[in-house]
Amino acid sequence: MAESRAEIVAWVASNILPHEAALRVRLHHMAISPDEIDDIVQDAYLNITRLDSVSHIRDGRAYLFAAARTEMLQRVRRERILRIEFLSEIDALSVVDEAPDPERHTHARRELARVRRLIDALPARCREIFELRRVQGVPQREIAERLGISETVVERQAVRGLKLILQALSEGERKDDYVVVRIGSRPLFKRRRDG
Amino acid sequence: MDDLALLWAIRRDEGPLSAEDQRAFEAWLAEDPRRDGALLRAEAALALLDRGRALGALAAPESSFPPRRKVLIGGLAAAAVAATVGMVRFAASPPKEIIATNLGEVLRAPLADGSIATVNTDSRLEVTMGGADRQVELSEGEAWFEVAHDKARPFIVAAGDVRVRAVGTAFSVRRHNSGVDVLVTQGTVEVWRTTAPDDRTLVGRGRRTFIADGANAITAVPAAPEIDRALAWRDGGLALEGEPLDFAVAEINRYNQRKIVIDDPAMGRMSIVGYFDVNDPEGFARSVAIALHANVTASADKIRMAPEGT
Repeated sequence: MAESRAEIVAWVASNILPHEAALRVRLHHMAISPDEIDDIVQDAYLNITRLDSVSHIRDGRAYLFAAARTEMLQRVRRERILRIEFLSEIDALSVVDEAPDPERHTHARRELARVRRLIDALPARCREIFELRRVQGVPQREIAERLGISETVVERQAVRGLKLILQALSEGERKDDYVVVRIGSRPLFKRRRDG
Repeated sequence: MDDLALLWAIRRDEGPLSAEDQRAFEAWLAEDPRRDGALLRAEAALALLDRGRALGALAAPESSFPPRRKVLIGGLAAAAVAATVGMVRFAASPPKEIIATNLGEVLRAPLADGSIATVNTDSRLEVTMGGADRQVELSEGEAWFEVAHDKARPFIVAAGDVRVRAVGTAFSVRRHNSGVDVLVTQGTVEVWRTTAPDDRTLVGRGRRTFIADGANAITAVPAAPEIDRALAWRDGGLALEGEPLDFAVAEINRYNQRKIVIDDPAMGRMSIVGYFDVNDPEGFARSVAIALHANVTASADKIRMAPEGT
């Protein structure tokens, strides 16, 4: 059954966005430039806008990684550049992430606690407006009235706040991430404390 | 990425666009249809923030308002109220309410005074709302209470000989074989034993106390980070941060008829980190097996885990 844009957006918020940071780290390790990473990420999201329904996708992270892989393969074909080592890394993008890892169940509360800290770290003016709009739910028009500033200023700060928060979210917070690391030949679930 | 994607996501979120804005938006999108990807990403970030607001998780840390959870447990629990759980009201006054859950059920039960009891698997409560106090007897299992404020009628939970008293606060009580565990998420509670009614210990927010059978002193220890994890069951989850596999299996087995069995004591001591669904024992066993190099043999009534090559 087809789902509305709002339903897809809500699904993306819980199942794709939390994994964007991990995807970026992987792409970064493949020596892809930041601009190109942005493009690949954008196209991975674009891929989702073309879906009628997301209810069949059981694992958002695997889906995001697979979408990035498809996008990269298309780039390779378009540009007709064949880099063997690059291709094998693209393949690794889907293979490694097939295993069902408990680390993937991102804890929604932890994510939101992080968002809270990100809001606290916004520049003062931006934070004030962001708090009113996103935490207290005051419409922008009313914020402008209350603070005696124009709606354009409110909107500009809203964009700035959202940009900073999205940026921080997509860069990830590695010290809070759970990753599977290998100790000797045995993989163990471990907490990563360094960067 | 494109700041305009953020701007349009925000504008569209504020309400319907003006005709002029709508044209500008369509032109922006038509210029490069791939921008729809950046727009979706920005919309998802706004949705994440909205959900945070709905859950109260974004409230400023210095705020005195307790985080309110709009929906604790979904349709399953609601169905459980309707179908499985007998809410028996006795004719005698004050009215007594029995709330019981079956294996694997988590139930959110609003009480007559406006308090809410979230009852974990395989638990049983008897609630008596009297004129002078509100009494809850936890005869089995575990529950988390969000107590409606009523200074005139203290809210008292009885678990064996342990008593926990609150005025308006949120805390959980769990009965173990060897004692009673109390976790406080909001406010302060008073804990004592019926054998020493004058010896009362205050347990504040973010603290936990384990009252072992037989021991005398009741001491509370700070445990804020653990409490969220220990109460993950409210969302059907089990959060582990290095606990032994044996512990994790005992927790998961609380919720399921089909028990996980560990065949190797050394494996049982391996520590596990992760967030798991308590209602999916086989999924848990298979995830852990990958990390621990174990084999999983699932039958109708058991899920066995053994080291590879045994």
